[in-house]
Amino acid sequence: MNLKNLFKKTNTRKITGKENTKPEVPSGLFVKCDKCGSTISKEELGNNLLVCPKCNYHMPISAKERIKIVTDNNSFAEWEFEIKTKNILNSKGYDEKLEKIREKIDLYEAVISGVAKIDDRKVAIAVMDSRFMMASMGYYVGEHITKTIEKATAERLPVIIFAASGGARMQEGIVSLMQMAKTSAALKRHHEKGLLYLTVLTHPTTGGVTASFASLGDIILAEPGALIGFAGQRVIESTIKQKLPEGFQSAEFQLKNGFVDRIVERKELKTEIGKILGLHVRTKANKIYSKIHKDKAATKKIKEKNTPWEIVNLARDKNRPVATEYINKIFDDFMEFHGDRNFGDDSAIVGGIAKFKGKPVTVIAQAKGTDIITNVDRNFGMPSPHGYRKSLRLMKQAEKFGRPIICFVDTPGAYCGITAEEGGQGEAIARNIFEMSGLSVPILTIIIGEAGSGGALAMAVSDEVWMMENSIYAILSPEGYASILWKDGSRASEAAEEMKLTAKDLMELGIIDDIILEPTNYKREKIKVVTKVMEKKILRFLMDYESYGEDDIRKHRYERFSNM
Amino acid sequence: MIKKILIANRGEIAVRIIRACRELGIETVAVYSETDAEALHTQLADSAICIGPASATESYLNMERIISATIISGADAIHPGFGFLSENSKFAKLCYDCNITFIGPSYEVIENLGNKSNAKTTMKNAGVPVIEGSKDPIIDIEEGRKIAGEIGYPVIIKAVLGGGGKGMRIANSAAEFNGAFSNAKKESKMAFSDDRMYIEKYIENPRHIEFQILADKYGNVVHLGERECSIQRNHQKLLEEAPSSAISSSLRNKMGEVAVNGAKAAKYENAGTIEFLLDEDGSFYFMEMNTRIQVEHPVTEEVTGIDLIKEQIRIAEGDKMNLKQEDIVITGHAIECRINAEDPEENFRPSPGEIKEYHMPGGNGIRIDSAIYQGIKISPYYDSMIAKIIVHGKDRKEAIRKMDSALGELVINGIKTNTHFQHEIVNHKNFKDGNFTIKFIDEM
Repeated sequence: MNLKNLFKKTNTRKITGKENTKPEVPSGLFVKCDKCGSTISKEELGNNLLVCPKCNYHMPISAKERIKIVTDNNSFAEWEFEIKTKNILNSKGYDEKLEKIREKIDLYEAVISGVAKIDDRKVAIAVMDSRFMMASMGYYVGEHITKTIEKATAERLPVIIFAASGGARMQEGIVSLMQMAKTSAALKRHHEKGLLYLTVLTHPTTGGVTASFASLGDIILAEPGALIGFAGQRVIESTIKQKLPEGFQSAEFQLKNGFVDRIVERKELKTEIGKILGLHVRTKANKIYSKIHKDKAATKKIKEKNTPWEIVNLARDKNRPVATEYINKIFDDFMEFHGDRNFGDDSAIVGGIAKFKGKPVTVIAQAKGTDIITNVDRNFGMPSPHGYRKSLRLMKQAEKFGRPIICFVDTPGAYCGITAEEGGQGEAIARNIFEMSGLSVPILTIIIGEAGSGGALAMAVSDEVWMMENSIYAILSPEGYASILWKDGSRASEAAEEMKLTAKDLMELGIIDDIILEPTNYKREKIKVVTKVMEKKILRFLMDYESYGEDDIRKHRYERFSNM
Repeated sequence: MIKKILIANRGEIAVRIIRACRELGIETVAVYSETDAEALHTQLADSAICIGPASATESYLNMERIISATIISGADAIHPGFGFLSENSKFAKLCYDCNITFIGPSYEVIENLGNKSNAKTTMKNAGVPVIEGSKDPIIDIEEGRKIAGEIGYPVIIKAVLGGGGKGMRIANSAAEFNGAFSNAKKESKMAFSDDRMYIEKYIENPRHIEFQILADKYGNVVHLGERECSIQRNHQKLLEEAPSSAISSSLRNKMGEVAVNGAKAAKYENAGTIEFLLDEDGSFYFMEMNTRIQVEHPVTEEVTGIDLIKEQIRIAEGDKMNLKQEDIVITGHAIECRINAEDPEENFRPSPGEIKEYHMPGGNGIRIDSAIYQGIKISPYYDSMIAKIIVHGKDRKEAIRKMDSALGELVINGIKTNTHFQHEIVNHKNFKDGNFTIKFIDEM
């Protein structure tokens, strides 16, 4: 039945009394989202921290609002320095422009800084305010940020900078350019004191700010969708005469290309920063052991009588737990960090900081997937050069903050392909081996499945290397070994017998230090049986190495390999 | 004077409001979602504006779009109906800010009464009996245990922002407390992103009795008697009647007077409902005040002869209410059955789809409030209530007979409905005897 135009109208009312005044929307009641165009009530937008409830566009926010959102209530105390904006070039109209803005938004310049508490932890914080000339960096901004960093260095405080900037301030010319050097130099000193520097990149962070302090954080967070880049999009387009793709220079683009650790929603920022600060507290274990561990008897405990070839197949079994599952079971508050700060973010390697029995540790793992889709995403656990470079970056970060490193190895081998060679796979592995040998923090490697060749060693130049009962560690795959030596890949099972790739063999050869036994027919459902044992052993490892000085650790690791 | 009303709702209540406006000669504007283009409210209104896709958050709950539709259409008032934005103080405030008459109480009143603890304090101060319970919201389980111990078991744990039975648990003893509290908290967190809880004395065998209030701008407040709403499934009302067989005329006067005092204390304006729990011994306790027209308002209209929607509009226009308490006389007995598109055999799962065959009962004392017709498609996006059958007889017995007959005549084919289940209720001995509590459905 179609009802269209079936009904008679009865709106016959004559207005006899006072007519209502005409409804109208007062200006300022609604705001339009610049991104998706929807109208949002100003109040609702405010409650949503200036994030569009429809499209999640994180709108620019004033420095004062930002401080309110991310710091503990009433904990912020502003730092004021004797600095004045300089018009060195005598730029015409510049002084007037500054005055006008100052009057309009009641802010002297484009940055505010001070000391505050986040989750009850004291930090130095600097926040840029893009309402002030796009928070471009001239003398004032550079000097203010430098002074903030210097004061934080003197007071041994972590620094958090919320970046938002159009880049260097053109009106101040070459002096603006020098601010990039000045701020970076101050950060270098802060870094050398082993202090944490965290940056949060917000919409937009570009130009000279991206090319200096904004990109130098030990950890770099970004708000979703934020524009982050060096050159402006119009400049790039006119230079290369090409239209730029959707999402170019977005926070997500930067994450994918390895320049951002994590993308964090505005409403989660405070919690996230609080967690990161919590992961950078130095703790001491309460008991100290002093003997280097080597469980020589471990080989005798192996009850299963599997042949090497059977072990190869068990190590590759798709029902075997993968690294991410061990991480979730063994550690608390694991926070993943992305990117090598150079080229990309390799999903075959997962790394970040977590707590082990309350103590922060850096965890890096070669991550296979659990089914075909996740395996394709993780490239079947075969890392690319930028994966190794991410791993090295996180190891260096661990060293800076005195965190032990725990690696999980599970790879058929480093990724073998054109892009891997173009990226310098050999150099990446070599660099890891080279740098790991000299790290001053304890490193533990646990081989949980396959440990194929240099791709495995690049995460196993460690103080102790443990193997799961049914894992393998070899110069290359049995198939590869057979095909190189005998020109016949099908003789892989024979090769496995010869290669000495099982935990038992490697223990006897002195290549590894411990074996973790497995329940019969080990599958991911039984992971708890194994992680319970692993936890005890990891605790022992951490307590042992706690007592070593940096030089002892380096010396021990050097000797470990020089004897092989 | 209101010239044109935009109805910010759909279904039978939108139609009900449009009909009242038609009687008053007021022009109407319907708003509709893409899926409601063929809906009765869309077609019956003088004009209609599409406000978005089917999803309610994109249409009937989207304040900005409804305000825009109001301005564009030249309407000067909004009737929110029930559900959707009807008890949203932010929406009422937006209307106020945009100089649109919101047909209902002021946003301050909505906000105050929408907050359970504020509402309780207001009522308590006005001498309305309230159930013993925690004063402030509780998050900590140990604190909750202590308070529950002071109140005395059994206790009911409720989410501060709760509604529709979500985030609600009963603990009969201290041993049950921890489990009940943490489950209620978890559920509330999921449903409302808030886990503040209240604890109150649990009345084991109460009836749900509510009083209809009308109040004008000038402080004139009357009550229109009670509605008996104890027949509920999962805290959702199924069948309502007026008057209640559990209420004597002296109790009615007493409860009504209390309700009027409560509404006055809340500075209430327009139509509203105060819900009480009535204990077996005749003591009663304030539960909440609903700041809108109720689904079950027709039973009150039938026994009082007062058109509540028209009263709402007049009050919103600023008219002085001519009704005095003594003018309000309860005549006969009315029952309403809610017909829902749901399948009682499949645990009352919603049953959307096209209505292929359709016949509505009629005759003396039978009223149908519905927006369905033959060929309409019932959308899965919205509430499953599709019709209300209301009967009015000279007494309860006659009303039950009328309902029994009407339900037997009702034909809705193509989708599953709860008609048969309603039939079972009205033919149940305890129901016929007027011998029931809010546990009736569970014990059926």
